[in-house]
Amino acid sequence: MGDKKKGFQLSETQLGYLMVLPALILIAAVTLWPVAQSFWNSMFDYRLNDPTRNQTTLSYQIDLETYANNYFYIDRDLEAIENEAADTELEETVAQLRQEIETYHDQLVTLPEIEEQYEIVDEMVMNFEPVNDRDLRYGSLDNDFAEGYISLLEDGQDELLDAIGDHDEEMESALSAGAASLTSLDRSLIRPNFIGLQNYGKYLTDARMWSAMWNTVFFTVVSVFFELTIGLAVALIINRAFIGRGAVRAAVLIPWAIPTAVSAMMWNYLYDGQSGVVAHYFEQLGLISDASVLLSTGSGAMFSIILADVWKTMPYMALLLLAGLQTIPESLYEAAEVDGANRIQRFINITLPMLKSAILVALLFRTLDAFRVFDLIYVLTGGGPANSTESISVYAYQVLFAQSNFGEGSVLSVIVFLSVALISIIFIKLIGSDLFEGKTGK
Amino acid sequence: MRKRAGVSFYIFLSLFIFVIMFPFLWVFLTSIKPPIEIFAGFNWFTTNPTLQSYINAIDTRPLFLYMWNSIAVSTLTTVIAISVASLAAYAVTRLPIKFKGTILGIVLAAAMFPQIAIISPIFNLIQSLGLRNSYMGLVIPYITISLPLAIWILATFFKKIPFELEESAKLDGATPFQTFRKIIFPLAAPGVFTTAILVFIAAWNEYLFALTINSDDNWRTVPVGLSMYQSQYTIPWGDITAATVLVTIPIVVVVLLFQRRIVAGLTSGSVKE
Repeated sequence: MGDKKKGFQLSETQLGYLMVLPALILIAAVTLWPVAQSFWNSMFDYRLNDPTRNQTTLSYQIDLETYANNYFYIDRDLEAIENEAADTELEETVAQLRQEIETYHDQLVTLPEIEEQYEIVDEMVMNFEPVNDRDLRYGSLDNDFAEGYISLLEDGQDELLDAIGDHDEEMESALSAGAASLTSLDRSLIRPNFIGLQNYGKYLTDARMWSAMWNTVFFTVVSVFFELTIGLAVALIINRAFIGRGAVRAAVLIPWAIPTAVSAMMWNYLYDGQSGVVAHYFEQLGLISDASVLLSTGSGAMFSIILADVWKTMPYMALLLLAGLQTIPESLYEAAEVDGANRIQRFINITLPMLKSAILVALLFRTLDAFRVFDLIYVLTGGGPANSTESISVYAYQVLFAQSNFGEGSVLSVIVFLSVALISIIFIKLIGSDLFEGKTGK
Repeated sequence: MRKRAGVSFYIFLSLFIFVIMFPFLWVFLTSIKPPIEIFAGFNWFTTNPTLQSYINAIDTRPLFLYMWNSIAVSTLTTVIAISVASLAAYAVTRLPIKFKGTILGIVLAAAMFPQIAIISPIFNLIQSLGLRNSYMGLVIPYITISLPLAIWILATFFKKIPFELEESAKLDGATPFQTFRKIIFPLAAPGVFTTAILVFIAAWNEYLFALTINSDDNWRTVPVGLSMYQSQYTIPWGDITAATVLVTIPIVVVVLLFQRRIVAGLTSGSVKE
């Protein structure tokens, strides 16, 4: 921008940062922050369908509604045992247990952060009103206090259950009722669900994860390979003047432009064992033994997915490579011809090097796209038969949303993320600064 | 162009187009067959063409509502992405700021993010904002896809506008914002339009977020709605093919109208000129 370094220049720079800011904030908010959260969530036993684990917590919590509800019965149940077991050793043990629980309870309800909250919740429980307000219902507890209380309750349960064997029926039911109330009270004390890398341990030894990973890698490598080679061949052939360029361009763009889910539905029909025309013709040509093979066997389904992907993306690849081919100056080929280079030599020594960056950029985006494949597989085969076409993204989706397990599902999300990051780094090393060329300006 | 096109070339070309177009052709031919004929054999042409499958497709599921939802979500996404991205792309290509490489690096990294890696936190976010089953519930996650794409393509287009114009506007006393609005934007309009088409198509085609966030049938978009036509017990191929034809028509129209621009936009990122 010239040599003028005065007030004007400064404000222009400031304006520049101001103009970039909204984009960066949005990107940070909707991509970087969620990825960080996925990492965080992957270290918790975090399940949406379990009310005690549907949040990530590092400290003990208490479900005051459940607590108030169950504390009410503890006294009654323990007293019943004491009456049954009058003048025995058991009476003494239970009396002591009752005493200790009461001490903990008194301490709990006078904790400054809990006291008021508990009074309100207790009042509501007495009136049989449900406590729907999360903030009111759950309180946090000091870790040492909670651990002490929990171990008391657990020991109490064991003692009561151990005593069951040596008594009559009436005593037995009193004991198990007492143990059950202790269990319920214990459940209202929610453990922190931080489990560190335990989820990773589980999935790194999980056969289904490795088979999903293998399926993904296989799908990516094979389909990108065919898209590139066929695309390049088509680009080389149609790189000439001919009538009907518009028609070719449209034919090439339409498969690329339609939603993958829609093309997956189309192929689902074409591959169908009974009414699918592609399956039918493949059978007639002797390519497959039976029309149903395409979607009902593992290798048939994998082939079907790859074919559908190549169909959708190869034309687009050809288009990108054709644009690259058209930037190669004709004079290079003429000079090579004068020097006596044949077709193959010209291809290897001129076309390929000149196309290198176009090929690498196309490969980078295609590889990443193929690696995170979701909708094609989810709609076409659902990952079946018997998970034989399940990609890692489909598996992650199943764990996250079908099982509502956000902790374990996040591990798979993180694995996809790390793989994609690794692939990108390798490619960017290969491509180098070419990727940014023509974008950053002066 | 050094090679001339001969007869064998045109044969190859016709074959190529036929293979690419065959699925569409077959789906169309199926959609006008009477439903009984679909399961009866593999005749290419029916003697009794009928629109029965189209009527069924519209009756069984709210197909036009899906299309309306897709239009609303994709348009909102495009407007937001283009307005934010054009500012950023302008600053990165034409203003003297630092860290241009870093900024573009972040943009590129965001474009490569696998959606599955962010879906659960985004789901929680949309849930806590109370935006599930709404247009904004999809527009917000679609920023992750559309914004990096838009910045990346716009940067290429903005870079091509001659710097001299800007310089002379500056000499005439225009502020940078005026320069952007009066000089750059009109010149960049074709590029902006091209980018808008690509962003629109990307938003139209998105599946994973639409599947998880808008699970109510009245808020589904086209890709998700169409994939729900298959029920567990029967597969109504007539309905599916008819619905496919209906949702493909708008895309074919867009492609036919704007094919040159789309190709220019697609190749801008990968080819040096």
